[in-house]
Amino acid sequence: MGFSVADVIIQARGLKRYYRRGIETVKALDGVDVDLRVGEMVSILGPSGSGKTTLVNLLSGLDAPTEGTLSIAGRQVAGLSEDQLADVRRGTMGFVFQKFYLLPTLTVAENVELPLMFCRRPAGRAATMGVLRQVGLEDRASHFPRELSGGQMQRVAIARALIVEPKILIADEPTGNLDSQNGEAIFALVRSLVASRSLTVIVTTHNLRLGYLSDRVLTLQDGKIVKEEPGSPVTATR
Amino acid sequence: MRFISLAFKNLWRRPMRSALTVAGVSLAVMVTVSLSGFILGYKRAINESIDKLGFQVMIMAKGCPYEAATMMLKGGTGLLYLPEEVYDQVRKDPGVESITPVFIGVAEKEAGGIGESASKSYTVVTGIEAKTFAAMKSWLTFATGRGFDGSRWFLPDAEDEVVMGYEAATYEQRKVGDEFYLSVVPSGRTEAVMRKFKVVGVLARTGSQDDGTVFMPYRTAQKVFGRPARLTIVGIKLKDFTGPMVQQFSERWVKLPEVQVVGMEQVKSTLVMLVSAAQVMLTAVAVIAVVVATIGVVNTILMSVYERTGEIGIMKAIGASRSDIFQLIWLETLAVCALGAVAGCVIAVLGARLVERGIQTLLDIGIRGSIVKITPEVLGAATAGTIVVGFFAGLYPAWRAASMRPVEAIREGID
Repeated sequence: MGFSVADVIIQARGLKRYYRRGIETVKALDGVDVDLRVGEMVSILGPSGSGKTTLVNLLSGLDAPTEGTLSIAGRQVAGLSEDQLADVRRGTMGFVFQKFYLLPTLTVAENVELPLMFCRRPAGRAATMGVLRQVGLEDRASHFPRELSGGQMQRVAIARALIVEPKILIADEPTGNLDSQNGEAIFALVRSLVASRSLTVIVTTHNLRLGYLSDRVLTLQDGKIVKEEPGSPVTATR
Repeated sequence: MRFISLAFKNLWRRPMRSALTVAGVSLAVMVTVSLSGFILGYKRAINESIDKLGFQVMIMAKGCPYEAATMMLKGGTGLLYLPEEVYDQVRKDPGVESITPVFIGVAEKEAGGIGESASKSYTVVTGIEAKTFAAMKSWLTFATGRGFDGSRWFLPDAEDEVVMGYEAATYEQRKVGDEFYLSVVPSGRTEAVMRKFKVVGVLARTGSQDDGTVFMPYRTAQKVFGRPARLTIVGIKLKDFTGPMVQQFSERWVKLPEVQVVGMEQVKSTLVMLVSAAQVMLTAVAVIAVVVATIGVVNTILMSVYERTGEIGIMKAIGASRSDIFQLIWLETLAVCALGAVAGCVIAVLGARLVERGIQTLLDIGIRGSIVKITPEVLGAATAGTIVVGFFAGLYPAWRAASMRPVEAIREGID
């Protein structure tokens, strides 16, 4: 591959994740090797049950592998406890999920500042307004989630992910709850962040067209990467 | 943002459910505070009421001494009498500092009191020797003001004079100079005899049983009730009121036939002991209330945790540690309990007089004055106790939330 080791922010080798379901062992992920570079947007595609979410959970440090080695931002995560994994994620990872998970009793600004509380970092209004400006919701800071549309709520979730200035943004089906127009807008926003913040973005989607807007596309099937190909990121900036 | 403010905001998510849970806690706190206040106040009121009898020791006819003491406190019928010569004998005892004869009877009074119907009503009549009685109760003074000025005790051997306690005078709407009619069935007769009296004095309020009493010279009372040379009790103050001296005094006079010597401390401790027995039952009621409230709190917080599974997952994903989540849920529980404690204490304090009135209406306990005493110590203990309950009630929901694995929590939230 044409990049230096220093550029690699996530490196997985022989990554396996098995589950027990009764007497059966489910091989959700069965030997995945992958490198993710700084400032790269990678889409993970595949049918339901192919292992997309399992791979994202492992690459984001939400889950630990059954076998294999995994390095996230220079730290080996295999065998770490839950709190140690939280320590790896804290300040390094930003998350956006299909469901927005905004706290309904907090304002938009408070929702955005929530991760800072867990990072024991002071919340600065300027920083909050900065990320809200970046997602186009500067004027909604004092609104509550119920006053926002689905697309706006997902933008707040993105702002919440960005407030800790993460190196990696995990977006698991970020457009799953949105109509196509909002979905495209969110994708375009994420795409723009890759450039402006040198973010590494891992995104899963069922939408092939959006998926191919990334720099690289990994296709999973039966827990294995069956195809790796370049995307068409230019389309996204049009 | 701080954990505590996030905890309060989380409670606000389901305001009705949180309010009902807080109400449950406050109800338990209110019950606990009110019952504790009642126990405290009742014990204090018993002590005060007995102290305001003015005696350290009573000599009375043989029978139940506690029944007699209760009669003294609230009046009643079926009193036993002892010969007046006992008084003459005991007054010569070298251990006696002061002594007073008391005759108690119950008379039917003319209707006309505030709120009285035409049906029969009764009043406690206490025959006293004004000089020795007043000396023993140094706090007795006459009421002043219009209609009360000119108050005095009886003239020597006056047969138609009465002094009324403050409440008795107010209730009967009598003032100095008014007439007052009593109907008594003298001992050994079957027909009532109506007697007219003149009110010569009205006592200032004492907060004791004396407020509701009609006083007359004891010799007059003996005549009116047809029991010449009989007394109900002889009240005594000793020169040396210590255990051994009371014991010696008691031994000297208990030998008289049909007489018993009762120390007021003994009466006090027995009445307080009776209250202590009731305290066990009242404590059980309070404990049940607290247990029910605690179950309510655990249930509410646990439901809230399950409802927020996905949110807890995302909080963990963005960096919350197990202890962060534990702390958050625990604070929510403590907040519910603290709010309930404050509300319960406020309701208990505001409702104390209502509870008091209810108890006095339902149970004629013969104690005057305030019987619910809610002290800062009671409020402090109730609040601290509730916080401790919250401390333990929050452990399980907080542990459940903290134990959620982020991957599973987020997946469950999506499902």
